[in-house]
Amino acid sequence: MLLTLDDVSKSFGGLMAVRQLSLAVEQGEILGLIGPNGSGKTTAFNLISGFLKPDSGGIKLQGKDITRLSPPKICASGIARTFQMVKPFSHLTALQNVLVGRLYGCSPAKTQAEAREECYRILDFVGLAGKHQILARNLTLVDRKRLELARALAAKPKLLLLDELMAGLNPTETDAAMRLVRSIRDSGITVIMVEHIIKAVLGMCDRVVVISAGEKIAEGSAQEVVNNQKVIEAYLGKPRYA
Amino acid sequence: MSFNRKLLATAALIVILAILPLVVGRDDIINLMFMMFLSVTLAQSWNILGGYAGQVNLGHAAFFGVGTLVARYLWFSGTPIYVAMLVAGLVAVIFALIIGMPTFRLRGAYFAIGTLGVAETVRITVGNVLPIVTALPSNFIVNYDLNLRYYAALVLAVLTVLVTYWLVNSRTGLGIVAVREDEDAGEASGVSALKHKLIALAVSSFFAGVAGGLFAFYHVSYYYQFPFAPNWTFDALMITYIGGVGTLIGPVVGAFFYVTVREWLAVSIVDAHLFVFGAIFICVVLLLPGGLVEAWTKMQRVRLLSRLLRPTPPVKSVVKGRGEQT
Repeated sequence: MLLTLDDVSKSFGGLMAVRQLSLAVEQGEILGLIGPNGSGKTTAFNLISGFLKPDSGGIKLQGKDITRLSPPKICASGIARTFQMVKPFSHLTALQNVLVGRLYGCSPAKTQAEAREECYRILDFVGLAGKHQILARNLTLVDRKRLELARALAAKPKLLLLDELMAGLNPTETDAAMRLVRSIRDSGITVIMVEHIIKAVLGMCDRVVVISAGEKIAEGSAQEVVNNQKVIEAYLGKPRYA
Repeated sequence: MSFNRKLLATAALIVILAILPLVVGRDDIINLMFMMFLSVTLAQSWNILGGYAGQVNLGHAAFFGVGTLVARYLWFSGTPIYVAMLVAGLVAVIFALIIGMPTFRLRGAYFAIGTLGVAETVRITVGNVLPIVTALPSNFIVNYDLNLRYYAALVLAVLTVLVTYWLVNSRTGLGIVAVREDEDAGEASGVSALKHKLIALAVSSFFAGVAGGLFAFYHVSYYYQFPFAPNWTFDALMITYIGGVGTLIGPVVGAFFYVTVREWLAVSIVDAHLFVFGAIFICVVLLLPGGLVEAWTKMQRVRLLSRLLRPTPPVKSVVKGRGEQT
């Protein structure tokens, strides 16, 4: 197991955002994390990446406890993430944005020159070739999403958390993003993705976990999960028999 | 300008400044230049934390003041002045880190107010404990060499700019700027926000402290609390903003502009010059957030653009023809 969550709970005041969530992520898989709005998906990501500390339960990466580590420490131990609302370093160039990931991140480059070379490759890989010197704030939303992904990749993580990477993309861009994520997995990086675009979930995820109101309600292959009665109810409500 | 030409221009400027006291025999000019160099150091050191790390520090005067206290004391008790200045810088760093730990828990405007509060507390305390004038002993006055102060200030200013250049081009410098741009994204990328803010604070306060040592070396007599006054902070801040916040050259350009104009206005309209600078500051923040550096690059761009767009005869005729048709 690469990552395990063991009975993790987190509440904000009276609201249980995540309730006794247990997860196991295997090396090399793409795990989908889906659920209706407000079901606790992003909270789960924030717990894994250290931005929130769980009230109870434990999180382990390759058997090592990372529950109470700070976000930079968790990143250093091998987890990189993107944000749902992209957070580029606005006044830095695309290259500098990615360099931050490469020079810090999970396994920092030894020299700046080496880091630069790799960053060029990563920028080309996500489709930002020729835009290295553009300030992040001058990029389009799609390009900023690419940049967000490039920065996370530059960290060289074992586990990559993608928070609604495809939201706001058109179908062509979604297809491109799907190809991108698959080749990331093929390069040996395990991926957990929170996603609302069902096509992406069905097309890519090896396994899907569904949470609703902070609780895991289903787990299995994408096909199994979308036909699960509980899942349908969570999204659409219980059928009313009039 | 290419890097080599910039380097050459910088070297030439430094050489000119180095020979200046030998050619110019007027003490008032040397004093003015001293103030410029001191301002470059103070502004650049403020810029490291305020510009690059994005932490608007309104307590910079406290580091400067602590530097004057330490250096003056050590110097008067027999320590060589350069050693005293160095120690002044180090003590300022320790002082800054003690203050920084709690104040960095505050973000944005709260950090600014917090640091201002700390600095004012320190100033009032010093004013109460040492409500006296510190004056150079007579044997120090006899040997007073203004040119020596001038060179010390020049070297310190150059050193501050060099270290800033080195810092912002390093990995740590990139981390510092990343934290300024987005703390969460930085942390998620493995950059510890607190650590990088503290590094920026340490470098910033070190040079402020050494600048304080320089002030102690320069001034014959002053009230102990004078270098703790908030105007030292606001001078540094305004110079940085007028020149170009978060740029290497901004504080240098700003200091030369600010000190010259202040000198000129202080002669003609005395204390009213504060109003003028207030107005300039507001204009810069509203209209030209990048300061004089941005104004310069914009001008360059306009010049380049106008050269590209300069109508050549064939283009002109096409435009005219279209105009006639419609």
